[in-house]
Amino acid sequence: MTAPLLAVRDLGYRYPGGVVALQDVNLQVQKGRRLAILGANGSGKTTLLLHLNGTFRPTAGEIRMDGQPASYDRRSLIHWRRRVGLVLQEPDDQLFAATVEQDVSFGPLNLGVSELETRERVSEALAALRITSLAQRATHTLSFGQKKRVAIAGILAMRPEVLVLDEPTAGLDFHGVMQLLSVLRQLHEAGATLIFSTHDVELAYGWADEVAVFHEGTVRIQGETTAVLGHRELLRLTRLHPPLLLEVAQALGLDAGSLPRCREALLALLRERAR
Amino acid sequence: MRAIDHHAWTNRWRNRHPAEKLAPAFGLLLLTLLLPPLTTGPLVLLLTLLATVSGAGVPFRAFGSVMAVPATFLLAGAPFLAVSVSFAGGVSLHFSPEGGQLALETTVRALAAVSCLAFLTLTTPLADWAPLLRRVGAPASVVELILLMYRLIFVFAERALIGQRAQAARLGYSRLDRSLYSTGLLAGNLFQRALDRARRLDIGLAARGYTGELRVLTSERPLSWLRLATALLLVGFIGLMGGLLAREWP
Repeated sequence: MTAPLLAVRDLGYRYPGGVVALQDVNLQVQKGRRLAILGANGSGKTTLLLHLNGTFRPTAGEIRMDGQPASYDRRSLIHWRRRVGLVLQEPDDQLFAATVEQDVSFGPLNLGVSELETRERVSEALAALRITSLAQRATHTLSFGQKKRVAIAGILAMRPEVLVLDEPTAGLDFHGVMQLLSVLRQLHEAGATLIFSTHDVELAYGWADEVAVFHEGTVRIQGETTAVLGHRELLRLTRLHPPLLLEVAQALGLDAGSLPRCREALLALLRERAR
Repeated sequence: MRAIDHHAWTNRWRNRHPAEKLAPAFGLLLLTLLLPPLTTGPLVLLLTLLATVSGAGVPFRAFGSVMAVPATFLLAGAPFLAVSVSFAGGVSLHFSPEGGQLALETTVRALAAVSCLAFLTLTTPLADWAPLLRRVGAPASVVELILLMYRLIFVFAERALIGQRAQAARLGYSRLDRSLYSTGLLAGNLFQRALDRARRLDIGLAARGYTGELRVLTSERPLSWLRLATALLLVGFIGLMGGLLAREWP
């Protein structure tokens, strides 16, 4: 088996003040997979994500990329961030330029991409997020959902192999979530590896290939979504709950092979049963 | 401030090349400073007003409100220029005709100069003209700082507004002493947030490959030489008129 794209090994992180944020974290990210890091608010998910692009340097353990231990010199960090794109939860933390087009162009220009190709990448990223019409708008006049998409476009224009999103659906309404998920689906189908943190069990169940349950600064378990989220006792201990879809399917007595993963699938199943 | 920004981003001339607006604006400013103000000033004022309102389609009210604050200061200050104080044999005030002339000229000149800037701020968003500063030799870090401040002003203004509303909802501004207290708390809170925001922006930008330079694409807009030439001709015409009228009418 080939080495995972990203591997976190026995990672520990202690804030400069001495507070322990992460302890003995282990995590594997395989190429082309969708991994949800599931945990309650304040459990340290963001701190972990900030390790995945080299923002924080572990105080114990290590991170490996393609089997090689990560290094933290300037050149390596640039290379690392080209491969792993991190989208923060709060878009205002990432957007700084006056117009959307200018902002999205920032990442590719930092990578040394030519102006001509940057223009191409910008329009491609805006099209992927379906915000081409916003290109000349002032950043500060956008709505939260629009800012969020601009922030993702800014990372996308760097063409990362792995897209890491911190709570991507937080603060979005239903329509916004649906649009975002459909964009992410397209990216995934185009070959991107996705990692996202969330406290939403339903989202993880409907969306991830794999789930890592994060609790009190460490990953308790990582595995296939249906297996992990069927683990009632573990979920209870980590202050999570089983997804409703799974509970309904279990109440109906469905076998593990035919569990519906989205509401449409469940409804279709129920209709068929009613007949 | 919000209104100015809104017009700058949405006026009819928004997508014109910034040089087409900067060159005539600074041309007029130069004329205002160099030529006799009593004839040139009103002409400049008229032209900037027409350009802003009829040309770029910015409402007259917006132009008026941008001019209102500096105009108030100027009008309030003018009488003091007209009057001279003498300390010979007790303090006494004298009105002198030369002083009156000086006050009038200064006020007209300043108003006309402000109108050039009003035209510019109402028709050209900062994002357009800041990159031009770099081309004329301003240090990159200064331009970056200007652009960052521009972005963050709105982030903080929004925070301040939300914070103030929340305080007002709990009657934080019910009395003068409470108002002072609340304002102090809000200021302290905003300062903390500013530091926090800077730290997080640093992380966010690092994730996008930031290594010390904020380079972005500047949008390419075709420069219309015809429009630029017309505008400059108009500026020249105003200068000529201002100069000639002043000679005819000393």
